[in-house]
Amino acid sequence: MDFPNFRNKLRLALDLLTEFYHAPYRGAIARAKRDEDDLFMLFVFSEMLGVSNPVIYYTLELQPILMNKFHDWHTRMGMKQSPLDSFRCC
Amino acid sequence: MLDLLDRRIIFVGGKGGVGKTTTAAALAVSTSEHGRKCLIVSTDPAHSLGDIFGQSIGDRQTQVTHNLWALEINPDTEAARHTATIKETMKHIVHPRMYGEIDRQLDLVAYAPGASEAALLERVAELMIEAGTGFNQVIFDTAPTGHTLRLLSLPEMMTAWTEGLLRNQKRSRRFSAMLKHLGGGQIKGDELSLLDNVEDYPENGQDAKIYKILMARQRKFTRARELFLDTDATAFLLVLNQDKLSILESKKAIGLLERYRVPITAIVVNRTLPRDVDGEFMKQRRLLEEKYRDEIDYEFSTLPRVFVPLFPHDVHGTKVLLQIGKLLVI
Repeated sequence: MDFPNFRNKLRLALDLLTEFYHAPYRGAIARAKRDEDDLFMLFVFSEMLGVSNPVIYYTLELQPILMNKFHDWHTRMGMKQSPLDSFRCC
Repeated sequence: MLDLLDRRIIFVGGKGGVGKTTTAAALAVSTSEHGRKCLIVSTDPAHSLGDIFGQSIGDRQTQVTHNLWALEINPDTEAARHTATIKETMKHIVHPRMYGEIDRQLDLVAYAPGASEAALLERVAELMIEAGTGFNQVIFDTAPTGHTLRLLSLPEMMTAWTEGLLRNQKRSRRFSAMLKHLGGGQIKGDELSLLDNVEDYPENGQDAKIYKILMARQRKFTRARELFLDTDATAFLLVLNQDKLSILESKKAIGLLERYRVPITAIVVNRTLPRDVDGEFMKQRRLLEEKYRDEIDYEFSTLPRVFVPLFPHDVHGTKVLLQIGKLLVI
């Protein structure tokens, strides 16, 4: 019997099984994480959406860091274009 | 007379025009005369430290006498500097054709309501934390009461806010960890990985940067708030005059300060008329003052009270200030 081959096959089967059970949870958790991150974006960019942010002065310095996520965020929030007239990213 | 020499931080507050700057300056001169290095800081947008010391001071620590330095914080300059740094960072990230947009956007923030307050609070917090290292004592001549109260409430609000952000970040990280545990990253064949369908995650570098910034702020505000409440380190003096409005506002201020659990150290009653005034008009004023004095004694009976007389001349220059300082400090 070709043991290494059999082992590989078994390994693959196990991986597939693990994946089968884990994948749905992973999706849910990834979505939960994304929601958290989106909320964070909303906190930081809230002023731009007309929601007054009492600490805009302090969150401002987070904006450059989050700029690369800004486009994904506003598209996910259902805004095809950047919500800002003065600040276009796409 | 008050035992204030060993306090690292002294706040002088009160209604507009009661003589806060004079009181703060007198304290500062007296502290420096005791051989301690003292910094007096004006947070009032309408600065008058320069006038009282007879020299221009401005937004940098300026030496006034041997042991005394003065500083007039300009929150607008501070806010402009803050946004300028952010502009620079942003310009590294975005396309040059957006520079104009960025300038416009960030200039709006610099002039937004609250920005100069935030800048001021930041500076005050830094000075409070540094107090005791470079200087033996830092005295803050604050703006009228409402403004000061806002200053006191901000750290609490800011802390709550940054805490919220940090909590959110933590939850996000926990989800990341769970994902890893569920096989994210450990899967061999790419074709098996369902992770590809999930939103991409910020690299650790980005999260780490955000975390660092939030934590630095959090620490600063928490420390400032601790110092506000630490009666061994910080004293809070309330200046008032013997008149109705001044007494009413002081009562209100004490009530509000109590809400923030900031204890008042003492009350300075400024510009009291001397006993031997002449003329019918002045005698009547004095009678009135006596009535108010009783009221002050009654209302603020639990607090030490210091009375500073009205002088026939302007309070100007270190000599007169020292004279007042001797009335205030042991």
